[in-house]
Amino acid sequence: MNNRLKVLRAERNWSQAELADRLGVSRQTVNALETGRYDPSLPLAFKIARVFEQPIESIFLED
Amino acid sequence: MISEDRKVPPLLKFGGLILLALIGAAVGAATARFVDASAMPGDDALNLFVGVVLIGMGVVMGGVFALRPIDIPKGCGMLQILVLTLAGIMLIVPIYGPNWVSAEVSLAIVLGLLAIQTVANVTMFRQADEMLRRVMVETGSLAFWTLQLALFVYAASERLGLVEGITAWGMIGILMAVYMVASAVAGARRGLK
Repeated sequence: MNNRLKVLRAERNWSQAELADRLGVSRQTVNALETGRYDPSLPLAFKIARVFEQPIESIFLED
Repeated sequence: MISEDRKVPPLLKFGGLILLALIGAAVGAATARFVDASAMPGDDALNLFVGVVLIGMGVVMGGVFALRPIDIPKGCGMLQILVLTLAGIMLIVPIYGPNWVSAEVSLAIVLGLLAIQTVANVTMFRQADEMLRRVMVETGSLAFWTLQLALFVYAASERLGLVEGITAWGMIGILMAVYMVASAVAGARRGLK
């Protein structure tokens, strides 16, 4: 699954550590999400959507 | 740009790899100097090797963590170092412990370390986020399927009289070695370094 996490994070000028802190996960997890090595659980996907104030489907895109 | 996104310069990356290789060579040379593995039973040699590798990994991780900027969160790293180091010590105590204390005291030491390691392992799992938990679960699955396959083939061969028996001590050495490789594979798939 593709996602726009890196773009959205860059738009807000947040570091990976900052985003990780907001999401309550490790920086490695943010990195894995951004590089497409890990697809988040549904609760984490909702949390990401809340943090970026965007609907899930505008952040995560099907392959 | 955001600091974590900066690529590590290839030269620095190469230098890091060389440094790790040198540390590995130094640990290997030191072990070879003080241990005559050729005079050891195979299962002892395997457990000693895995034990030294685990302790070495713990020491290298400890060094990396000590050198990290203080503002980078340590996460479960300290617990990982503790778990790795204790696992290594637990594999070495049964080999050398009886040289200094009785077998019973050696076992008591192993059980004490095992209790501490179990608490550290459970704490690490509880503190980890969902991806790190996933890596731990995938490591367990990969190690289980690999070992189940190997055990089946070995057991069938043993029953047919094609291979000799293996000690439980040898089995735990193989299990730990397979687990280490499985852990590296599962971590690499998620980009953990």
